[in-house]
Amino acid sequence: MELLPQALMDGILLGGIYITIAIAFSLTYGVMHIIDFAVGEWIMFGAFAGYYLNKWTGLDPFLLLPVVFIIFALIGYLVQPVIHRVLSGNKGNPLLMGLVFTFGLGIMFQGIALTVFGFYSNSTPSMFSEGSFFFEKFGFSLTISSIRLAGLIYALAITAALHYLLKKTNFGLGVRALALNRDSAGLMGVNGKQTGSLVYGLYVGVSAMTGVLIGCILSVSAQMGPEYTIFAFFVVVLAGMGYLAGVPWAALLLGMVQSIFLIYFNPGHTLLAVFAILYIILLISPRGLFGRGV
Amino acid sequence: MKDKSIRWGLPILLVLIAMPAVIHDAFFLRVITEAIMWIGLALAFDVLAGYTGYLNFGHGAFFGLGAYTTAILMMQAHWPFALALPMGGVLAGVGAFVAGLPTLRLKGAYFAIATWALSRAVQQLALIMDITGGPDGMRLPSFLNPQFFYYLMLAIVSVTFALLWFLLERSPFGLKLKAIREDDQGAMALGLNPTKLKMQAFILSAVPTGILGGVYAYWITFIDPASTLGDLVSDQALVMVVFGGMGTLIGPVIGALLIFAFKTLFWAYLSDFQLLYLIILGAVIALSVVFIPNGLWGTLRGLRFQKKDDEKKDEGLAAKLPQSEGD
Amino acid sequence: MAEPILKVNSVTKCFGGLTAVNDVSFQVQQGEIVGLLGPNGAGKTTLFNVISGYFAPTSGTIIFKGLDISGKPPYKLAARGIGRTFQVVKPFAGLTVLENIIIASFLRYPKQADAKRHAWQILENTGLADRADVSAASLTLAGRKRLEIGKALALEPTFLLLDEVVAGLNPTEADKTVELILELKKQGMTILIVEHIMRVIMNISDRLVVLNFGEKIAEGTAAEVARNPLVIEAYLGEAAA
Repeated sequence: MELLPQALMDGILLGGIYITIAIAFSLTYGVMHIIDFAVGEWIMFGAFAGYYLNKWTGLDPFLLLPVVFIIFALIGYLVQPVIHRVLSGNKGNPLLMGLVFTFGLGIMFQGIALTVFGFYSNSTPSMFSEGSFFFEKFGFSLTISSIRLAGLIYALAITAALHYLLKKTNFGLGVRALALNRDSAGLMGVNGKQTGSLVYGLYVGVSAMTGVLIGCILSVSAQMGPEYTIFAFFVVVLAGMGYLAGVPWAALLLGMVQSIFLIYFNPGHTLLAVFAILYIILLISPRGLFGRGV
Repeated sequence: MKDKSIRWGLPILLVLIAMPAVIHDAFFLRVITEAIMWIGLALAFDVLAGYTGYLNFGHGAFFGLGAYTTAILMMQAHWPFALALPMGGVLAGVGAFVAGLPTLRLKGAYFAIATWALSRAVQQLALIMDITGGPDGMRLPSFLNPQFFYYLMLAIVSVTFALLWFLLERSPFGLKLKAIREDDQGAMALGLNPTKLKMQAFILSAVPTGILGGVYAYWITFIDPASTLGDLVSDQALVMVVFGGMGTLIGPVIGALLIFAFKTLFWAYLSDFQLLYLIILGAVIALSVVFIPNGLWGTLRGLRFQKKDDEKKDEGLAAKLPQSEGD
Repeated sequence: MAEPILKVNSVTKCFGGLTAVNDVSFQVQQGEIVGLLGPNGAGKTTLFNVISGYFAPTSGTIIFKGLDISGKPPYKLAARGIGRTFQVVKPFAGLTVLENIIIASFLRYPKQADAKRHAWQILENTGLADRADVSAASLTLAGRKRLEIGKALALEPTFLLLDEVVAGLNPTEADKTVELILELKKQGMTILIVEHIMRVIMNISDRLVVLNFGEKIAEGTAAEVARNPLVIEAYLGEAAA
């Protein structure tokens, strides 16, 4: 029982990271109507970018975040037209082909990463790596490592920035219009192709930045991708696909499930628990916890 | 059409039946046996992907389910292979039913995700359970008769092909599935129940996959989560079908033969670069989608049909012109 | 008067906070053509989707041939004899025209050969026989709308819901479709039709039901409805906007 506050705290800290993974992922689904199976691989590449940039420049990974964002946003911006081409093809089943395409991309990325980086696992050092806050009250004790707290602050900042971008800017209006209705948004003068590229770039950039943080907090390895792809799916399905407001709650729930399993049960069963929850949610409420997915 | 398929099918089958009598090279027979297995796996994958429009990224899980069921029944319950093998198919079918229940009502993206997650969960399950031997896997009694496995594989895949050909190309079921693939909402107005049809297709895809898994387990005599439940089975089935051509029965066969031949050569000469194989698989999938979305067979056939269609269009136009003037 | 084939009883359909159809009631008698009229966004297509089983009504009931069918899935309603077309025509694009019709024919003719024979008959009746082997995607709009009707007819329905099957056709094509509809009526078919083209709907309908903002504002013969001040306002209002 005395471990429960710690488990919940860890859950919140971990959940924060998942918010940033899932929010950009969900946004991309809302706008492009495509599931990006390569999401975990973008995170993995971001984590390696953080690891090596830190090694070469000696700069703290937190300072490197903007650099990583710009590099990966550019890559995403350049990759999106290919996906757009697949999705707007009139032969076969474009949505199906879109899924196949990103799935193939994911396999290729993993092969490249294993070739280049090998099978080793590392972690990126940061000025927040050491040190932690310790609380003790009412007989409970709570440890919060500063790196995890920094991660949560990053997550909140990204969420706030995306919220501002979507709700308060013209770009955000165009994005929301596209998510609602592709055809009429086009009529209203929203450039679907351009906006799609920007959203995809934004999503790849944010995913890579989150990867840098995961590299600091947890670890960096070429095989880390699929795990995060599953987590991203879990969060967006739980939140309801394309329903952004549900993402934080679903992400926190995932964090909680993970930390509780880590402390109370066999950590090896975490993935099974995650899958069981996913299955039950899909069975009972396929539009997510809030019934607002598309 | 019927004559043509028999004209092609029968000689090929006869050649395949006669093959072991001519070829005594054990390695070569083994390669052909595996090639036939992959044809079966690719065909089963295509039932769902090509005909129904649903991607099963967890195809390998059903292969593994069949392999493990057969192995466990033989090793723990001491069932004879002849009884354990069909059970592998049954369990794969049950697995498809359970996995399809929440997902087949939903859009294809959910299904793709869910099956992919399922394959990881099944892999995890095999790793932590005692009955599966955990990460060490299971060893089966060796039955060293290459010809037995060659003919068994050939029989199962031939029956699968014939069954799918009949169901998908010659009976209402195939057209109904295609209707679902094209527009499941619209199909409902025509009296079709999409969820039920998709479920039937999923089970039709899973059962042969499970049976092939069972044969594989007994043939190779060793299964473990990494090799039998890994991503490679799903990834390879996908690339074979996408590259060969979805939505046909010939496409997956062509894809399976080409990709498997490539894999065999790659493994034989470049076995130090196994990771490169992964990159090539991914690249072939992505490039096929962009440049030949209908696959090799679909593109070839498309060229032929387009010619026909264009001629027809011209005829239609020519026939219509005077008539509309007459109105 | 005989029991009506379709009874729509105070049907309401809401999406989130938006009420698309509000407390609408009307009846359709056997053998009648009833026109459903109203400006854009009046709730006509939503009502069609409720009647054909695509949406369950938020409240109210749909009685078809004496049975409550509210919320029953479309494929069950198709089996009970309700055929419908879609405003946005989406044929099974990857299949041929003949295959499109064969799929619909399976409902009454489960055997492939019978379904094919029946489909050819439908193709003859709808004037699509010469296009049988082309892919449905290559049809013109007129052809697609014809195919849409053909698919609905292949179900051998007793009640037909037609959603804008004339709009977008040139006058010659439109006349052909109207002819087809009148021919169906002669054979005893009951039809509920949504159509934007006044000339068509006023001429072929026995009675009209007019919706505006999801509510029924008028019901009666063409002449009665045309005199109704609410109807005039609804249409003039739209024209002025």
